[in-house]
Amino acid sequence: MPWWWKSLFRRRALDAQLSSEVRFHIEELTDANIAAGMAPEEARRRAVLEFGGGEQIKEELRDVHRVRVVETAVANLKAAFRFIRKSPSVAVTVIVTLALAIGANSAVFSAIDAILLRPLPFPNGDQLMTILERNPKINSPRAFVAPIRLEEWNRMNSTFQSISGYYTENVSETSGALPEKLTRAWVAPRFLQVWGVSPALGRDFTSEEETSGGPNAILISDRLWRQRFGGNPNVIGQKLRLDGYAFSVVGVMPSSFLFPVREVDLWAPIPPGAPASQNRDSTWYTAVARLKPGVTLAEARANMDTVQAQLARAFPKPDADISPVIEPLKEVTVADSRRSLWLLFGAVSLLLLIACTNIAALLLARASQRQHEISVRYSLGASRGAIVAQLLTETLVLAVAGAALGLFVARSAAKVFRTLASTLPRVEEIHLDWRIVSYALGCSLLVTLLCGLVPALRGTRRNLATSLAQASRTQVSGRNPLQWLLVGVQVALAVTLLAAAGLLVRSFQALGKVSPGFTTAHILTFHISASWGESKDMSKLTQRIQGIQAALRTVPGVEDAAISATLPGVPNQYQTELKVTEGENDPQHKIIAESRFVSPSYFSTMRIPLMAGEMCREQPNLLHAMVNRSFANTYLSGSPASGRHVTLLGSTFVQSAEVRGVVADAREEGLNREPGPVVYWCMSAPMPDPDYLLRTAGDPMTMAETIRKKVHEIEPNRSVFELAPLEMQLGAAFVENRLRTVLLAFFAATAVALACIGLYGTLSYAVSVRQREVGLRLALGALRGKIVRHFLLQGLKVAAIGCAVGWALAVSSSQLLSGMLYGVSSSDVATLASVVTGVLVVAAIASLVPALRAARLDPMHVLREE
Amino acid sequence: MAVDKSELLQGTLDMLILKTVALGPVHGYGISQRIQQVSREVLQVQQGSLYPALHRLEKRGWLAATWGESDKGREAKFYRLSAKGRKQLDLEESQWNRLSEAIALVLGTAS
Repeated sequence: MPWWWKSLFRRRALDAQLSSEVRFHIEELTDANIAAGMAPEEARRRAVLEFGGGEQIKEELRDVHRVRVVETAVANLKAAFRFIRKSPSVAVTVIVTLALAIGANSAVFSAIDAILLRPLPFPNGDQLMTILERNPKINSPRAFVAPIRLEEWNRMNSTFQSISGYYTENVSETSGALPEKLTRAWVAPRFLQVWGVSPALGRDFTSEEETSGGPNAILISDRLWRQRFGGNPNVIGQKLRLDGYAFSVVGVMPSSFLFPVREVDLWAPIPPGAPASQNRDSTWYTAVARLKPGVTLAEARANMDTVQAQLARAFPKPDADISPVIEPLKEVTVADSRRSLWLLFGAVSLLLLIACTNIAALLLARASQRQHEISVRYSLGASRGAIVAQLLTETLVLAVAGAALGLFVARSAAKVFRTLASTLPRVEEIHLDWRIVSYALGCSLLVTLLCGLVPALRGTRRNLATSLAQASRTQVSGRNPLQWLLVGVQVALAVTLLAAAGLLVRSFQALGKVSPGFTTAHILTFHISASWGESKDMSKLTQRIQGIQAALRTVPGVEDAAISATLPGVPNQYQTELKVTEGENDPQHKIIAESRFVSPSYFSTMRIPLMAGEMCREQPNLLHAMVNRSFANTYLSGSPASGRHVTLLGSTFVQSAEVRGVVADAREEGLNREPGPVVYWCMSAPMPDPDYLLRTAGDPMTMAETIRKKVHEIEPNRSVFELAPLEMQLGAAFVENRLRTVLLAFFAATAVALACIGLYGTLSYAVSVRQREVGLRLALGALRGKIVRHFLLQGLKVAAIGCAVGWALAVSSSQLLSGMLYGVSSSDVATLASVVTGVLVVAAIASLVPALRAARLDPMHVLREE
Repeated sequence: MAVDKSELLQGTLDMLILKTVALGPVHGYGISQRIQQVSREVLQVQQGSLYPALHRLEKRGWLAATWGESDKGREAKFYRLSAKGRKQLDLEESQWNRLSEAIALVLGTAS
């Protein structure tokens, strides 16, 4: 059994053994004395005397065996606190640096944990899937699911517990004085079963309420409950007036349930038996489903394909062209933000690394100052392990203090993150918990090892006879290659970060300078509430929207009005396949173009010039279309566009239209994309609730109230919402981009600051250590300017090498950024060069201060300090 | 003549103990007796230094200890040399011999 085991756990047994050994020896001595002729008591007394103090010896023996872990740890901690009190500036610098680095790390990690790593906040969230329809033959975009098909899928499949669906729209609630816009989620039956959540108050829908002709029931959100009903528990049974119908509240959902969209106010069921739901081509649901336990995604996909094949046999049109697409819900929700988050994580880890090298350099300097103390301890018999343990404890105390402060930083950083990044998915789930705390502690342990180990080991090297013999002042070499190496590493890392930030900033600027091809200033956009039910009567809907546009044009200050299905310039894609009736249709070369749905006044409102032919008009029988120049060049080359007919394939909504003319290219798919071929379908009512676009004479927002009043005049039961200038909408679309850029720039600036502090600290230390040498030189007549230049060059040399390495690092890792840049290549020389110049200038300033201090030394003062 | 225990350096005592134990397993009392006898009463090891030395050597792995019965039937702790201890003994013996030869040479030439 190992000796320390005995000491820790078998105290009594060990004691008994020691006593036994001592007793044996005394008895032998007694026997020897008796044999020599003494009386037994005398013999015993003599033996005890001869043996010496039995208890003392036992105590010494216990000493030999004792494991001093706890006592050593406490002694080390006391020494560590003494060290902090003796040099508070070093301790404070280390703690603050660590707090910033660990705090930033914890904040980003908590975001990554909440958004990417943790499963969705539902019971068995990994079982949740989304299902959409797709036509595999023409590779169409994913489309919604028809309600009747959803019910058949739910009945016929064997891999899902239940399948449900939703779609959201805006609705006007008119029981108050002014109409209020609410977000309504229409849901299929079994909605709450799929999510696995029950209402916090009240109950789920009954089967009566899910039957056509049954009572109108809604579930409301926690936010609506508090805002509208003041949190009154008697809300069950109260009514809201939506679209002229009364709906009674049957339950309130928990405050954490914000699906399918964050702004959702209420949920209402669509009876599967409703007449509008029987058409196999009416698609509107996004289906969500929960897998049965133990079933894999592959099995579910195979099973659903079989089910759809059965349906295809029963209803060849249209089910033969439909194939279900199943994706995990979490993937769909977080996919876009993944890249940004990991980039942030990389940046913040680099920051931590830089902070560590800074601290390591500081500790190295401290360790060499304590050389004398350590040598004395060695010669007094301390083992190397004990001294290293003590030095490491000092670092550990600083690291833990830094981590604790860092958690505070992380809390506030998490709040800032939530406001800055409010459009990221699942942002509301970010909060600090024990995982983040243990991550922070893990970071601090890592920091301790990285920063404390090297100085501790170096400071306890074995060639100490020499160090003790020499006076500590004359021994130091002042070259400290390891410290300069650390500074160089910091500069290199700072240059890399700064280069990345610079590229992102330039790309952001380039994006701002792009000419969009349409006017962005003086455009006011808004929505007027409507419901999908209106699409039953297309001509009435068209008339209504045309009427609104005409009325708005009469308002003084409004120059033109139009509608569009999606906002121009906000990234949005609706790639469709088309057929041109006249001319060759080559099955090899499909005609793929963006389809946009706009009113004829769109082009004049957005100032997109007409290039050929004439402007489209809206007519009851014939659908008109316009094409842009890219389309004409790519697909209609050589012949005039006017008079041709285009057909939208795979759509039941729009058939074919006559092309009237060609307009100029515009970057409506997003400012960061080259304009591609586009077909504009000229209709005022692509949907009941399109984007309204008004061009105003002056500042758009000054017209806001006027417009609201005018709409209220024309449509008293509808509300105006999401009223904003187009420029603001465009800015909002790039908020994630901006977040990335801002944060990275901040990190880069911090990195440069840290590198300069490191440079300044190391150079100061070098100067202070070589004081006598400098004093000697000055006394012997050296020019002060030369001294300054010497130290300045020392600092600049290291900075220059660091910049060179940083340049190489930036170029080699430029691939990582290439997907996020616009208008600037990832190895752009101008950016790199300006970054390097900037860093060198700052480094020069950082080196100048200690250099000047060196030159101002009074030689007599220094030399006298012998 | 009894040598004061403080003159017998800690390293030398270790070597003497190892050598004594090399002959066979023996308990603490036996070791002190044997050293005293073999050195013709010159070296008398005090228990205050003997037992701490024994336990230190055991902790270091140079001695292995077992409990057994003495020839008089009492329970005692017997120490014997381990393989590592044997190597250490050889090392210390050769170092001591080299040192004493060198000192003898110096003393020899000085007089």
